[in-house]
Amino acid sequence: MAFFDSLREKAVSTINSVLQDKKTPPGLTKEQWFCREYSLPDGEVVVAENAAEVAVISDFSTSAYKDLNNPEGRIYLTQHFIVFRDAFDRRNCSFTLHVSTVKKVERLPSKSYAVALAIGTQSKLTFTIYLVGLRSDSEKFAQTLKTVLKRNLPNVKKLQPFVQTCYSEYLLFKNNISSEKIESVPPGGLGLLFKFPGNPKELRDKSKMKLWFDLFRVDGRNLSLVKTPMFYRLIRVGLPNRLRGELWELCCGSMYLRLDYQDEYKEILEKNLHKKSLATDEIEKDLNRSLPEYAAYQSPEGIERLRRVLTAYSWKNPEVGYCQAMNIVVAALLIYMSEEQAFWALNLLCDRIVPGYYSKTMYGTLLDQRVFESLVQNTMPMLWDHITKNDIQLSVVSLPWFLSLYLSSMPLVFAFRILDVFFLQGPQTLFQVALAILKINGEELLKTDDDGSFISIIKDYFQVLDQSAHPSSPNPKYRSITKFQELLVTAFKEFAIVDDEMINTHRNKHRDTIFQNISSFVKRTELRNLPKTVNISSDTLSVIYDRFYSVVQSSVTVGSGSSLMDFNAFRTFMSEICRWVKPESDSGPEDTVFLHHLFSNWDTEGQRALSLSDLVSGLNKLVEPDLMTMITNFFDLYDYKNKGKIDREGILQISEDLLYVTNPWKEGYVLDDITKQAIENAVADEVYKANAARESNDGEILIPSQMDIDKPKFEGLQVERYLQAASTFIQRAFEYAQPEEEELLIKDLAIDNTISHNAALNPNTPVFLNLPTFRMVILADETYELLFSKTLRESIQLDTPLDNKINSMRNLRDMFDGLLADGRKVANKVRRRMDSAASNALHSNNNLSVNSSDNTSLKSGKSKIQEEEEERDDDFGVISIDEKDKDLLLGAEAQVLMDPTVDNASRTNELKKFHDAEAAAGKTVHKFEGDNLIEFET
Amino acid sequence: MSFPNPATSVKLVLLGEAAVGKSSLVLRFVSNDFQENKEPTIGAAFLTQKCTIGERTIKYEIWDTAGQERFASLAPMYYRNAQAAIVVYDITKPASFIKARHWVKELHEQASKDITIALVGNKYDLVEDDTEEESLRKVSVEEGKGLAEEEGLLFFETSAKTSYNVNDVFIGIGSKIPEAASAGPNQIHQTNNDGRIDLTSDPNNRPRAAGDCAC
Ligand SMILES: Nc1nc2c(ncn2[C@@H]2O[C@H](COP(=O)(O)OP(=O)(O)OP(=O)(O)O)[C@@H](O)[C@H]2O)c(=O)[nH]1
Ligand SMILES: [Mg+2]
Repeated sequence: MAFFDSLREKAVSTINSVLQDKKTPPGLTKEQWFCREYSLPDGEVVVAENAAEVAVISDFSTSAYKDLNNPEGRIYLTQHFIVFRDAFDRRNCSFTLHVSTVKKVERLPSKSYAVALAIGTQSKLTFTIYLVGLRSDSEKFAQTLKTVLKRNLPNVKKLQPFVQTCYSEYLLFKNNISSEKIESVPPGGLGLLFKFPGNPKELRDKSKMKLWFDLFRVDGRNLSLVKTPMFYRLIRVGLPNRLRGELWELCCGSMYLRLDYQDEYKEILEKNLHKKSLATDEIEKDLNRSLPEYAAYQSPEGIERLRRVLTAYSWKNPEVGYCQAMNIVVAALLIYMSEEQAFWALNLLCDRIVPGYYSKTMYGTLLDQRVFESLVQNTMPMLWDHITKNDIQLSVVSLPWFLSLYLSSMPLVFAFRILDVFFLQGPQTLFQVALAILKINGEELLKTDDDGSFISIIKDYFQVLDQSAHPSSPNPKYRSITKFQELLVTAFKEFAIVDDEMINTHRNKHRDTIFQNISSFVKRTELRNLPKTVNISSDTLSVIYDRFYSVVQSSVTVGSGSSLMDFNAFRTFMSEICRWVKPESDSGPEDTVFLHHLFSNWDTEGQRALSLSDLVSGLNKLVEPDLMTMITNFFDLYDYKNKGKIDREGILQISEDLLYVTNPWKEGYVLDDITKQAIENAVADEVYKANAARESNDGEILIPSQMDIDKPKFEGLQVERYLQAASTFIQRAFEYAQPEEEELLIKDLAIDNTISHNAALNPNTPVFLNLPTFRMVILADETYELLFSKTLRESIQLDTPLDNKINSMRNLRDMFDGLLADGRKVANKVRRRMDSAASNALHSNNNLSVNSSDNTSLKSGKSKIQEEEEERDDDFGVISIDEKDKDLLLGAEAQVLMDPTVDNASRTNELKKFHDAEAAAGKTVHKFEGDNLIEFET
Repeated sequence: MSFPNPATSVKLVLLGEAAVGKSSLVLRFVSNDFQENKEPTIGAAFLTQKCTIGERTIKYEIWDTAGQERFASLAPMYYRNAQAAIVVYDITKPASFIKARHWVKELHEQASKDITIALVGNKYDLVEDDTEEESLRKVSVEEGKGLAEEEGLLFFETSAKTSYNVNDVFIGIGSKIPEAASAGPNQIHQTNNDGRIDLTSDPNNRPRAAGDCAC
């Protein structure tokens, strides 16, 4: 491979310099561009090149031809082709010779040239190549050719079956020109069975056939053919029916695909037999609606072929699938081509000639319509003015021309003539013809003032294409020129300047706008089709949409992206909106466990990827404002089998995940409401003290600009509270986890209650946690209750702007600044204190102290919170739970959460156990904190 | 009053899933014709037809769009400035009804605010002689009516094949479109400059729905 690699490197740099005057269209590498320019299959790479003079001789060459000067140009060698093009006039001589057709290479003695090679082909042509330039370069070229030929040997066996399918070969064989034995008539289009469109006499099909026959004899055919001026001339006058298919595929290069992948068409069909998809459904709808006036498409034979080619393509390229207009194009191709030929031509058409025309967003179509408009503007400014002034939608007329390659617009015979040139010259043909149509009808069109008459002028024009362009001319020769001929001349002469380069320039200019329009359309549609999300507003959905596509990196506009989010993208997404998700750079595998959980839970289709709708539904659950629903949602994450219970593994997982999710608070860089309230109170106390000291009665409250608040203390309290919550959770969860059903019996029989109790903690005993118990355990802890009612929800900022990531490191300093900045809040609190001081003049000072660091002071702080929160009675979060309240709470819970499988007795039992555990928990907190916690953290 | 009225031009767009019969409805309305195998519309087609409602002549400028999903991104180009829209579904294809719902939403969001929309369930001929037990019908009249009421649309069931109710759709739309529509939405209910009274602009004067039709 190294051999090719080094050559390849060199070749690329040479091509770059050769082609530097030609701009490579954006999105194409130089290699791709080379393949397109010469109609080679993608992947061909120039491995050697040289300046050369070329002479091509066949047994049938006329002497006149032999006397011509040898064409000069560059010869390129790729893995499978020898390519040459006359440097001065590409139409004078060019060839694309498949190396499989090379029968022998001889080195000719030559004085004037460094190296001269004679290449003999299967088509009985002799290409004499005189390499010009440094001898060493020429030698290298010759050497490389040898290597290329050797490497290609395995491919040579494909040649025989292939030539059997070429009508050109059959034609020569039948006329005893070629020794290549063609066993049977090569497969062809439906025209063979149902007649070709048009009158063969009028089309002078026989004469055309004869001319091509002569050309094949002299210039070769299919895989080894020299394109001479005659070749182009014969294409311009229209191809003969029987050769049309083969010449189309030769001109566009789909022939090489058919050669390379000989069984693929059949295999695709076999593999997908009876399979259905959206595309196949869409195809079915249109089978009877494709060129219905042509006899073949009123018969099963025609419909079947059409179905097979369209579905095979939809399986081969699911991103395109099927687009209306493809049915018409393929139906037309199939008149002249075998199924396989049509299949590969369709491939090349969609991939290369008119990319994006049939894609899911049809960006290519939209773009080229825009390009067409600006070409009209540039080449026919008067007409363009008229069109814009009258608000005429040009694309209504022109879009079908491009999309169905004129096949649905003009009588088929004419459309096929345009196709003949189109396959040779590519998309510029479509533009040239379109411009010519407007130009020829310009005068009439200028008289119109609405879309209706504009369209009907052109419709009428298409119906009279066969009539004389100059019916009243005295000159009979002039009179015999048809409107169609006039159209072609105008298109290819007057608009010859509209070439690929110009089209590409215009495409580049408009691409962004078109893509933007498409994106906003696609976005609107996708958002509209999302499932309902009660917790997420439509504005937020729009932000989520943008973020989704910013991480998924599918190309929405080209309509190719699968638009699914894999885990890594999901993680990036979440890290941008959640406080508890660290960016990929500073996190380890343990950080992804919870995310994996969410991911697989939201992945409704089980495709290891989330669609936008999966994501949105998942997020909707995650920001649930209702406490009970939120707890249920969280429970469901671990209830894999939907059995309403979570096993030991699951319980451990929950506790680990809770630890993970609460990291920002546990580590003290984000504060929850409990801490905030405590701090606000402390601040209020300070202010109150300061104001009380002033002894002023004017009712004005001065807020000091500086204040001494023991920040680390609050941080510490919060950290401690979260650690405590975690340890309490795991302890209670196992305490109240219930043994499996069978175990219950054994447990009932057990004499010693404490033993069975311990059994739950024994890792060998299967236990499970059901939803009511899980709720109970969560609600029993104020920190976790707050977590589910508020903290978690608020730690996810779905509407974080795209260019902004959530700040997970907000620190205490901000918090204080914020408090002081929002003076009113503090002022209210202070005023409250003043009021209560006034009524309770004596002993408030001690109570308000928050400076002592023991637990009781925090509690007293909390009761104040409760008092102050009463105004906002919808807020679950900050109700502190003391021993007395707990009973009440559990009583109520027991009612709401009645689990039908648990009878009353067991519920009382549960309650009792709960209280026991509470007591036990109180005793064992320290132990837990010390040992177990670490175990869970790792 | 005996002068021939100048025709009011009304831009009308047809939307709906592929093969529900949009082009066929237009063909029936414009040429009173029907084709068994109509080629799919590529991009859009444009046709005009005059229609007399009472004393008034409306010249419909009809934009018949392509139905396949991917052509949807072209649709804004065609419903731009439309005063009326016909959203078509096939009463034997439930998916086409869902699509119709989407189109209605899209129009409400994106098209002119005062656009008149008719919801049309086509291919009525296919269910005409169906028995209770065995019916090709997949979208009930109630569902169609429901959506129409919800979204404030006219509603019809039609057959382009038998021409059942087809003209009624266009007459219905015409009656609902205020005479001065092209002059701007503010002039609804007002008398015209030339003193003629607009008899048809009462928004409560709904045209007959499919069920009530005598034909
Ligand atoms: N039985 C029946 N067939 C209909 C009716 N209307 C249309 N069709 C058939 O349904 C098929 C599609 O009709 P079109 O009018 O082309 O549908 P369209 O909505 O314009 O389709 P697109 O252009 O692809 O969006 C054709 O084969 C019609 O013959 C109808 O009322 N009854
Ligand atoms: Mg149509």
